[in-house]
Amino acid sequence: MVNDNKTKILQVKDLKTYFFTENGIVKAVDGVDFEIYQGETLGLVGESGCGKSVTAFSIVKLLDYPGKTVGGQVFFRGEDLLKKTEKKMRQIRGKEISLIFQEPMTSLNPVFTIGFQITEALTVHYKISKSKAQEKAVQLLEKVGIPIPEQRINEYPHQLSGGMRQRAMIAMALACDPTLLIADEPTTSLDVTIQAQILELMKTLLKEFNSSLIMITHDLGVIAEIADRIAVMYAGKIVEYTDTRSIFYNPLHPYTYGLLTSIPRLDLDIEKLDSIPGLVPDPLHFPEGCKFHPRCPFATAKCRKEEPVLKEVENKHMVRCWHFEKVKEEAKKIAFTGRLAVSE
Amino acid sequence: MNRIIKKLLSNTTSLIGLILLFVFVIIAIFAPIIAPPLFSDPYQIPRMSWDTEPQPPGFPISDDMIFVYESMGEPITRDKAIFGTAQGGYDIFYGLIWGTRTAFRIGIVTVVFSMLIGVILGSIAAYFGGWLDELLMRITDIFLSIPFLVAAMVLTTILGRGLDKVMIALVFFGWMGYARVIRGSILCAKEDVYVMAARALGVKDYSIIVRHLLPNTIFPVMVQASMNIGSMVITAAALSFLGVGAPLGYADWGQMVSFARNWIIGSPGNAGEYWYAVFFPGIFIVLFVLSWNLVGDTLRDIMDPRLRGEL
Amino acid sequence: MLSYIIRRILILPLILLGVTFLIFCLFSLLSPMERLATYINDPSVLKNPQSAQRLIDKYHLDEPFPTGYVHWLKSLLRFDFGWSPTANQPVWDAIMQRLPATMELVLYSIIPVILVGIWLGVISAVHHNDMLDQFIRVTAIIGWSLPTFIFGLLILFIFYGILGWLPPGRLSTWAQYIVYAEEGFKNYTYFITIDSLLNGRIDIFWDALKHLIGPIITLSYISWAYLLRITRSSMLETLRKDYIRTARSKGVDEKTVIHQHARKNAMIPVVTVAGMMIIRMLGGVVITETVFTYPGLGFWAASSAQQLDYGSIIGFALLFAFLMVVGNLIVDVSYALIDPRVRLE
Repeated sequence: MVNDNKTKILQVKDLKTYFFTENGIVKAVDGVDFEIYQGETLGLVGESGCGKSVTAFSIVKLLDYPGKTVGGQVFFRGEDLLKKTEKKMRQIRGKEISLIFQEPMTSLNPVFTIGFQITEALTVHYKISKSKAQEKAVQLLEKVGIPIPEQRINEYPHQLSGGMRQRAMIAMALACDPTLLIADEPTTSLDVTIQAQILELMKTLLKEFNSSLIMITHDLGVIAEIADRIAVMYAGKIVEYTDTRSIFYNPLHPYTYGLLTSIPRLDLDIEKLDSIPGLVPDPLHFPEGCKFHPRCPFATAKCRKEEPVLKEVENKHMVRCWHFEKVKEEAKKIAFTGRLAVSE
Repeated sequence: MNRIIKKLLSNTTSLIGLILLFVFVIIAIFAPIIAPPLFSDPYQIPRMSWDTEPQPPGFPISDDMIFVYESMGEPITRDKAIFGTAQGGYDIFYGLIWGTRTAFRIGIVTVVFSMLIGVILGSIAAYFGGWLDELLMRITDIFLSIPFLVAAMVLTTILGRGLDKVMIALVFFGWMGYARVIRGSILCAKEDVYVMAARALGVKDYSIIVRHLLPNTIFPVMVQASMNIGSMVITAAALSFLGVGAPLGYADWGQMVSFARNWIIGSPGNAGEYWYAVFFPGIFIVLFVLSWNLVGDTLRDIMDPRLRGEL
Repeated sequence: MLSYIIRRILILPLILLGVTFLIFCLFSLLSPMERLATYINDPSVLKNPQSAQRLIDKYHLDEPFPTGYVHWLKSLLRFDFGWSPTANQPVWDAIMQRLPATMELVLYSIIPVILVGIWLGVISAVHHNDMLDQFIRVTAIIGWSLPTFIFGLLILFIFYGILGWLPPGRLSTWAQYIVYAEEGFKNYTYFITIDSLLNGRIDIFWDALKHLIGPIITLSYISWAYLLRITRSSMLETLRKDYIRTARSKGVDEKTVIHQHARKNAMIPVVTVAGMMIIRMLGGVVITETVFTYPGLGFWAASSAQQLDYGSIIGFALLFAFLMVVGNLIVDVSYALIDPRVRLE
């Protein structure tokens, strides 16, 4: 649960990132607001293409051409990152804000040892001797649960298994004890059992280092495990934003509702698996009005014409929908409990 | 197939290449009209004079020559050397026009035969695998160990001068690239389900290779072939330039350049005097090869998206 | 990886044996009399049928194929390649005498290949410069379509015919006298550029260099034009990889990202291609030396081919096959050394 006594680490205000392609302007992130407190985990959920990864990269200004952040502010420890020079950003990246990527095989450099890639995270930011950096690297590998770390230090990424590579990446991200971690689908490419292990590891480490985390994923099961608050994104905007428990027990947006009903359930006797009809909209040609209306079972004429704003409609529960009460009604009919263990 | 043709026509570089090729084809077909032959063998270049020195464009035929032709009973169809004459009085224009036919002949014949050999050997090696594959690949390595030009030189020296000997040499040492490419493609395709299905039905090996595997794997080979036509012509021209290719006076572009070899520097005080002796043959060679390369380059680009599955 | 290297080294003599076999097959297409011509230095011997037959027996020239091959192979291992009429000396001696000149040319030609092909390739990938990109595309296409002999003639025409800067041959006459005829000049390496410096003759050094520039440009052109393109695309592709993004996310500065993280990976395929292109330059020396009348192995090979000097051309082919096979092995092994994924299998 959100604790108002903790310090606010990150405040994203009206962030807009557009991609200027030959075929037109893609509004990947179109006015996104959220905040993160110390020690808290925010889940950024949505289907692929909804803009969640772009949001993360915009925060650390690691956008690829032709992307550009065209508006908004990103306050990290009170300072707007978007106004900082590249040089200053480099001091922050890897040290205060670290990233963990989806594919550990391609995200690690194949011609450098694991040890080098971890110690590099240290030597870039601290004046530290090579041997001390090596020591720290071994400690980090141990912490992330890699056996015989002194040997692994000198190995190359291709010599490690998928799960170990991801652990190594986590070690690399934690090297400088960052305030904020951003993890972009860190478990998606792993086996299910390894997934669970990595999530447990992350939870333990977050507690130990008292870091905050932005967890980007499309998997609701993963997010339920680890997030304190959840922001659901669709077509570049946040459509629902509240704490984890409310998302699962009290969804207010049709899209969230659709995501939840499309999860197979063992405890209920459901014959047909619902899926959200239609496809993710073409980013070059977003529909008029509410971006979700073509796929929404609750859509009305108003939805087709006017785009709703993100409003706090219940206590600390924001939603972007004209008809959230209808969603509430439907959700009550099906009890969203059981399989999704949400910790209090 | 139609899609490929459409793509070739829409791309500027390949369009230029195709237009150039078309021009060359026209020249080759209409050679007897553009440059009427003087001898029974049309590939024998007529001389404009007995001079050793090359003569500039527009050089009129010498009186000695007129006398020679009259006594031979041949009509004089051209009284000026449009592009000038090369060493020994050979008419450059004639040599280049008929040389176009030679170039096409060399390019297409050598590529077709070397492709045939390469595809046969490569597909056998890939399909049957095992020791046969090892053996054929070692043989390929052996052939690849001698630099192409040097190997062709050895063979033409032993076989003697003549265009057919040149073509034999080029084919004998030119098949390896195709063998490797088709082998790579078939090694991949071999594991595909349709091959296993055909085998299960009892289709004979030869049939599987020819009717099922080759049609799906032949395209990269065709791309390589189109680009090799240019390099075959260059190598043949190089051999003629070195004096081991076409016989003296034969209408071959490389030979025309070799005529200019000693005169490139010009006479003292007038350096560019014999520019035409190299310029005209050079332009023909470069444009011919360029056109094949432009087409082949575009074909290769077309091939890539196909590999990625976007059809 | 060790087993891989060992396997390659073991196969090497087999391949070389196969090459000798292939060449012997071609050689056997000639009649015994023609083959005899490669072993004698006095053509009048051929006119006398008895002495000719005696020599044919001596060299086992009309024996059946297998034994003929063995005898021929044995003579090769004795470095007896026959006699070269064009050089008027034994073939092996002719090779040894001309080898330094060609090696000097080839080794110097590696410099533009690496400098322009690789170094410029990396720069052009990092700095998106439209003019440079156009230059690269144009040189690549031209390089692929312009035959070496025409390019060489063009260079000769412009830089010697018109400008008079780069003369053909290896040395000017006055320098030749000093290097070959004068007593004070000591030949240490037979590389004139090095020897002239060791002898303290800067003037000869410059003269030798002037004569080398034209051939170097001609010999290296196709190689660096092709390599430039390959390096650029390899570098561009590497810069798009995920691990580059990871490096940046750690706060590594851009220069290190490019020159350490990216370049090391991009160079892996480039080095192999560079090696292959350098080996292919061996074939190009024939044309280049002929155009510039540079007195090396290639020039001699061309004249022997022209004059039907079988022994010489075969000796030349064997030598170059050997160099190519060894060169390929070196390239393959270095690839295995550079890429840790291959190295640690």
